[in-house]
Amino acid sequence: MAQPVPERPVPAQPWGRIVLVVAVLVTAATATWEWQMRALQLLPGDLQDNSSLWADQRRRIDTEDVQVAIVGDSRILFDTDLDRFEALTGVRPVQLALAGTNARPFLEDLAADPHFRGLALVGISEWSYFRTASGLHADALARYHFESPAQRASFLIYRRLSDVFGFLDAEYRLSRLVLRLDPGLRPGTRGPYQEPWKLMITAADRQSALWPRIETDVYLNRHARSVWARTYSAPPVSAEVIAMTQTVTRDAVGAIRAHGGDVIFIRPPSRGPFRENENRIVPREQVWDALLTAAHVQGLHADDDPVASHLFLPELSHVSRACASVYTDSFVRRLALLTPQLKLRADAPAPLAATDCPPSAEALALQNIVEGTPSAGARAMPVEH
Amino acid sequence: MVFNSLTFVIFFAIVLGLFWMPFAWTTRKIILLVASYLFYAAWNPPFIVLLWISTVVDWWAANRIARSSNIFRRRTWMLVSVSANLGMLGWFKYGEFLLRNFQSLAAVAGVHYQPPHFDIVLPVGISFYTFATMSYTLDVYLRRAQPTTSMLDFMLFVTFFPHLVAGPIMRPSELVPQFQKVVRPNLGQLRFGLALMTLGLFQKVVLADGFLAGPSEQLFDGTKIPGALDAWMGTLAFSGQIFCDFAGYSTTAIGAALCLGFKMPDNFRFPYAAVGFSDFWRRWHITLSAWLRDYLYIPLGGNRHGERRAYFALMMTMLLGGLWHGASWTFVVWGALHGAYLASERWLRQHFAGYTPGPVVCVLLGLLTYALVNVTWVFFRAKTFEKAWLVLKGMAGANSASEPILAAAHLIAIAVIVGGLVLAHWQMRTRTLESLVAMSPAPVIAAAWSLMLFAVIVEQGTGNAFIYFQF
Repeated sequence: MAQPVPERPVPAQPWGRIVLVVAVLVTAATATWEWQMRALQLLPGDLQDNSSLWADQRRRIDTEDVQVAIVGDSRILFDTDLDRFEALTGVRPVQLALAGTNARPFLEDLAADPHFRGLALVGISEWSYFRTASGLHADALARYHFESPAQRASFLIYRRLSDVFGFLDAEYRLSRLVLRLDPGLRPGTRGPYQEPWKLMITAADRQSALWPRIETDVYLNRHARSVWARTYSAPPVSAEVIAMTQTVTRDAVGAIRAHGGDVIFIRPPSRGPFRENENRIVPREQVWDALLTAAHVQGLHADDDPVASHLFLPELSHVSRACASVYTDSFVRRLALLTPQLKLRADAPAPLAATDCPPSAEALALQNIVEGTPSAGARAMPVEH
Repeated sequence: MVFNSLTFVIFFAIVLGLFWMPFAWTTRKIILLVASYLFYAAWNPPFIVLLWISTVVDWWAANRIARSSNIFRRRTWMLVSVSANLGMLGWFKYGEFLLRNFQSLAAVAGVHYQPPHFDIVLPVGISFYTFATMSYTLDVYLRRAQPTTSMLDFMLFVTFFPHLVAGPIMRPSELVPQFQKVVRPNLGQLRFGLALMTLGLFQKVVLADGFLAGPSEQLFDGTKIPGALDAWMGTLAFSGQIFCDFAGYSTTAIGAALCLGFKMPDNFRFPYAAVGFSDFWRRWHITLSAWLRDYLYIPLGGNRHGERRAYFALMMTMLLGGLWHGASWTFVVWGALHGAYLASERWLRQHFAGYTPGPVVCVLLGLLTYALVNVTWVFFRAKTFEKAWLVLKGMAGANSASEPILAAAHLIAIAVIVGGLVLAHWQMRTRTLESLVAMSPAPVIAAAWSLMLFAVIVEQGTGNAFIYFQF
């Protein structure tokens, strides 16, 4: 039977006054929330890395003559200062590294793109690169290949809002904050508390850095270390995965060179028990050295860089925001010696040293607490070893 | 675009502003039409062509049917309409599914057949708008309605953005008359409409995406073997997620339409308080149930041709209803289970016709209904039968090597949200949202509205598509 026009009565209420009260309450609550989030160092201008932001940068290769593109994981993403890179070489790289994500599919993507004829810098942590999984942001490639007009528009609006509101941070959304209250009450499970929390800040062209609060907040610093410590029980990477990775890398490097480009691998620094564990699961000679040989590619390892070995890594895996400039200065100078595709400017600034990015007194105090005896004021945080 | 996106906020503000301007009625309808096309094109502009094909074919076919008294011609034009709509649906939604099944059948017969890889992209909402447009032609063919004389009204009926991609599936008789006379929305409709939109977005952004999607994914997309606690809680999480997601969409859609002065029907009526499965389907996705009843169950014979035919019609309707939800045999099993539940209930009602349950038994039967609905959700959510069996075995406590999956925080969130949801459904079982709002003190409404809106703002949302968009 034909359906009649539906009835949709409006309940009798003083809607005008209700709307007014809602507007006042929500505005006040949101302003208070924003104030509270800013007190936690969530600041306007931090764009939140996401697939759309990545795709926005990736498209530059389609339209510009990109001389340097960086793919990789969080280490090369946080540890590279694009301003310093540009000051030294006159070239501002396209930053395509993604936190928690395997660089390999992204290197393959560059290799499959004939538009790219520049230098690809592949910044890796071996345990991220030598695995079968794609990692956290594998969907970024799909977003690059197809981004709907609605997604694009939402991204552009979000960028504008991020310049105004600090609370717009996925890591500090309501559900995350609530679910993180459980520090692991049920043995054997892995909840939001055990996932990595906010570690980075991101600017417009994906210039990213370690969130400065990680340097000074004992609780957050310990949490980050406890997350890395989860890898301490991981088995060594298998021979099959090493062989597969070498093959894929060799093919990708060959394809990029066939287009007129080149590839150089970079291994940023890590420290302490985290580094010791990496030596166990991804030993340098079996993984890094063998990769360079098998793929016929050059590489810069932090162990061979005297500057890198003295930098400040607040949570053992990434250099501090200030030290990103120093590390970039160091590896770019070494890069210029390796490849003719990158030259230092005649008016390049003077070299930096680890002493140019000393940790603050607050950060040093934190290191003493975290690596030494916890003070009474530090909140408890289980660290897995 | 999705309702839970910043783009929609801007889009809706502009549409609302323009529609409330004192333009001529035709101009305002054109504004709505253009806005609706923009709303759809924001996903993938080329797919607008499909929308046009569906619109033009049904407009043309319905007019031809109305003009002719020749039964053969009428039937031919009806079949043109049905073929065009189901053809599009078949190609885009079921093309790969059919090929995969053909490949499997060929393999059973010893023939190795490698189908070409088409990589077909499913146009969002195609299942909804093809059903809506088909109902227009079918109503004219069945002489339930006259074709509209205004192409603009018909185009607007098909594309009206609040219901375009995920329903409620509206009939021409519900919406076209609203376009035929000048609509002047009032401030009461605008304010209540905004309140409904807030409620819908709260359900989607905060409850479904924020708290329930994660544990559901951990159970159904993870590799761990679930025990009874995880299997049940993960499935309950999905039952809450899919309700909050879909009912959230419908409520937002109804609210958006009301802000513009248009009335859309309820699509959900507190389904988790259903006692029995016929009651459930009168409360869950009501507009689809009614569509399937009118255009499938009754034409298949309904209950007017004997018991066997009625059972057959019931099972076929639910099997096809299951397949409508997705091109996978798991959806067919979901439909088959609901068909079997409905058939069993029908048999029980006939054999215990004089029995009237008391309040306690009624609640127990309601809980049994909810538990059995949860069993069906396993097939709805699991991507493979292997996964579905694993979860069902877990629910029965039969997985010997089970591991804990869901963190305590998730278990508590599921218990609070889904438990609260079921309780709320029982409280509201015989009432409507409007009646509750009418009898609530204004400060309570203001506080609840503020809390929900604030929660939506601080949850921020990920812009995740609604689950039913994929159908």
